[in-house]
Amino acid sequence: MRRREEMRGWLLASPYLLFSLIFFVVPFAWAAVLVFTRWDLISPQRHWVGLANFAEALASPRVQAAFWTPFKFMAIFLPTVLVAAIAIALLVNSLGRWSGLAAVGFFMPYLASGVAMALVVQGILSYNSPVSDVFFRLFGDVPDWLGVPALAITVIALMIAWKFSGYYALIFLAGLQSIPRELYEAAAIDGAGQWTSFWRITLPQLYPALYSVMILAVGLMFGIFTEPYMLTGGGPDLATHTWYLEIYYQAFSALRAGYASAVAVLNAVAVFLVLTVVRRLMEWWGRATGWV
Amino acid sequence: MGVRRARALRAVGKAILLIVGLAVSIFPYAYMVLQSLAPWSEVNRSIVPTQLTVRSYDWLLHGSAIALARPWLRAFGNSALVTSASTLLMLASALVVGYALSRLRWRGRDVVNQVILFQMFYPAIILLVPTFLVVRQLGMYDTYWGMIVPKAVNLWAIFMYVSFFKSIPQEVLEAARIDGAGELRIISRIVLPMSIPITAVVGLFLFMERWSELLWDLIVVKEYRMMTLNVLIATMSGPYATYPGPLYAASTLLTLPIVLVFVAASRYFTRGIQLVFK
Amino acid sequence: MRLARRWSSRAAAWPAMVAVAAAVMVALAVEGALAASATFWSAPNPTQEIFWRDMAKAFMAEHPDVKIDVRAMAESPTSEATILTAIAGKTAPTGSENIFMGFGAQLYESKALVPLDTLPGWNELLKSRRMEEAIQGWKFPDGHYYVLPIYSNAMLFGWRLDTLKELGFQGPPRTYDGVFGVARRLKQAKPRMFLMARAELLDTTWWQRWFDFFMLYDAASDGHPFVTGQEVTADSEAAVGVFKFYQDLNKERFLLTRPSTDPFLTGVSIWSDVGPWTFPDWKQRFPEMKLGQTFTLAPPPVPDRYPADKPIRTFADAKGLVIYAQAPKEQQLALWQFIRWVFSKPDNDLKWLQATSLPPVRGDLGVSPTFAAYFKEHPELVPYAEELPYAVPPFANSRFSDVQTALGEAGLVPAVRGTKTPEKAWQDAKAAMEAILKR
Repeated sequence: MRRREEMRGWLLASPYLLFSLIFFVVPFAWAAVLVFTRWDLISPQRHWVGLANFAEALASPRVQAAFWTPFKFMAIFLPTVLVAAIAIALLVNSLGRWSGLAAVGFFMPYLASGVAMALVVQGILSYNSPVSDVFFRLFGDVPDWLGVPALAITVIALMIAWKFSGYYALIFLAGLQSIPRELYEAAAIDGAGQWTSFWRITLPQLYPALYSVMILAVGLMFGIFTEPYMLTGGGPDLATHTWYLEIYYQAFSALRAGYASAVAVLNAVAVFLVLTVVRRLMEWWGRATGWV
Repeated sequence: MGVRRARALRAVGKAILLIVGLAVSIFPYAYMVLQSLAPWSEVNRSIVPTQLTVRSYDWLLHGSAIALARPWLRAFGNSALVTSASTLLMLASALVVGYALSRLRWRGRDVVNQVILFQMFYPAIILLVPTFLVVRQLGMYDTYWGMIVPKAVNLWAIFMYVSFFKSIPQEVLEAARIDGAGELRIISRIVLPMSIPITAVVGLFLFMERWSELLWDLIVVKEYRMMTLNVLIATMSGPYATYPGPLYAASTLLTLPIVLVFVAASRYFTRGIQLVFK
Repeated sequence: MRLARRWSSRAAAWPAMVAVAAAVMVALAVEGALAASATFWSAPNPTQEIFWRDMAKAFMAEHPDVKIDVRAMAESPTSEATILTAIAGKTAPTGSENIFMGFGAQLYESKALVPLDTLPGWNELLKSRRMEEAIQGWKFPDGHYYVLPIYSNAMLFGWRLDTLKELGFQGPPRTYDGVFGVARRLKQAKPRMFLMARAELLDTTWWQRWFDFFMLYDAASDGHPFVTGQEVTADSEAAVGVFKFYQDLNKERFLLTRPSTDPFLTGVSIWSDVGPWTFPDWKQRFPEMKLGQTFTLAPPPVPDRYPADKPIRTFADAKGLVIYAQAPKEQQLALWQFIRWVFSKPDNDLKWLQATSLPPVRGDLGVSPTFAAYFKEHPELVPYAEELPYAVPPFANSRFSDVQTALGEAGLVPAVRGTKTPEKAWQDAKAAMEAILKR
């Protein structure tokens, strides 16, 4: 009886086990070898180069640019998306009967393919677009949206914020819906206004949701590919060059499999370090405000 | 009077916020559809076209002597095939595996659960190049299998099912076992019907993400006839740069189904918010 | 239980969907198995795709036992990358066109190509196409020929003659100084217009450098080799001059470096690199573009000290076709039979010229009556044919893509944007390129 149950467990878990063997364990081992080799995916021989790939990557201006890009995106993306998502969550939560419909509406941007949205943004920002005409009329000139580093970063960060605000709002909404009503009632008896109860009750209660959103949003900034691939190709001056662009370019355009894998490892290290710092900061902040 | 005025003001403010917010959410979609139906001289030159025409769609399918038609409809079919096959496989595997990991007692269970958590947080980007090599080794490069099989099992979906199944009372399953039902029968007759809400909402998310995938499909497919619609648009955005109208038409074709699927499933979606986002 | 009942009516849909998906896949697998006996990838340029399709049709009508499947190669992100990953994925076609010498060198070093001179009928093919002389430049280090040149195309600049005349100029300027003179007058008369609209000046895609940097560099340096072996042997003065030229133009806001739609044709700019492949497209969409009225063609501008009576050189984009070593022998031979059939008749080269406007690599292009009549009807192609003797092909090094990416990244782009002096941009670019060549 026990043996049969044991067998059943392994058997029903087998799709996952088999998949992980082929698409996790084998690539995992392969990557561990690849990073120390120079190989163009085609020729029969691979050269063992030790740590040369890492040395070259650390010295490469492209990799250095990719290292800083997520932080530049974050500076615009995090404040925008946090304010927008919390605002949407509060708004939807206060609607009552229509809240489901509104949630659906605000979630729509998440469905958009980055490819299609990049075309729209490109069209709206092109030199002779209706938007540019407005600028010409008002200022006599139109900003070079994708040609100035700061503007290109802003455009891409805002595109991603547009896409994810409604998605993150749902996390906050789930958090809002689990706040006990009694807390607000008690605060109202103490004579707290709307504003006070938002700062004293809502935000502290949203802390777990905020924590998850921060981790998700920061992690997201390290995995940007579609928008710069379509809009800027990583330009101008590598200002929007991302880790994924570099890895894709090196692996599948320059065919440097080993080097690309080494860059991917560096990316993983960077993500890990930054997320650790974000976690610590959030925990420290939670303790400092007494929310945890 | 003050209180009532304040309340009315707040309601108006809320309505304005709501309308503006929704307008911002929807505007790019509207722009895309309008531009795809605009006369070519007006594409990207005015937001609302003076007249509507299907020229862009027509051109997309027939091309011209100097810009050949690419297999757009086939690409749409490729997207539909790859996305549905992937999503079905991810759901089916997550259901069965999630059941085994939460509702069966076996010795490796806790270890596997731990490994799944480790894998979920493992940076997948490191595996990109070696996974391409595995796919190539298996002869799946430039085939549908190459797009479907590496995305046939989804850890997040397994995780969602595991946490959901923990809420199914064990007695129900034990009763069925005493009646002599096999595990597969229990899954299909008891567990599956109970998990319709979560299946709908998890399936919706898997479908949406698979439909808009770019990086992997770009890597694993090289011929026009095998490309998904998303990849074909990305590939043609350079060569067709002087034909923005048809590119908007293709983007509309890409966006329409996913919006329809979402709207059709929105009932489950609003109910599933608590399930997925808690 | 109501849920269960609701479910059972839908449960039937799942297997049905799976079955449909499986059926489609089987059908496609079968289609793949019944594929042609040889596949040929044509260049992404649609006119070339049409030419090859028509040729394959005509050939198969004569040879029912051979099947040639022509497909356009995608550019993801470049056609070179598409071919490389196809080879890497072990799904390379039997052969393809669109191969320039540098890419040929890269494929040769990866042992991916078939030496064409070992195939039957090579010498007859050279003779019938009058290529004995032209082929010398396509020899590889081991003495074999791996690329069959199809076309060679000297790049020129187009000028909007109507606007030039409006501004009081008789024709296009010859020197850098002259270009600035035109640009200044243009800005005064039409402040919203630009001398040149080229967003690609800031795009680091390697092949873009052919059409901005190398055109001017080959002219300024009188064709001085840019890379020889594993060394950067460029004429530094000429290279710095090109950087400075673009930088100064941009400083004065004569350049539009952001994306715009058809700027040269819609009155946004008056100066643009023009390849003959654009004429079929113009004919369709902008029939008002007429040589000698609305536009004219000229070689690249040169530094002011360049002798006034000396012909000006330019960059030539020259491409050929290859057969891949990965393909089974019988496919290689079938495709080779097709290629010989196509190029053994001058008529087909004429059809090529009619379809693509790209000059075929034939020794008799200027003298044969077959082509003379066509050039008479298409005067816009004559300047390209005349420029051919002065055109410099791209440097042939297998690291071309990294080298030219670095040239843009460390050199041209910062120079245009004004973030580096021309001298510093060249210094950095040279260092970056040498590091790549020595890798």
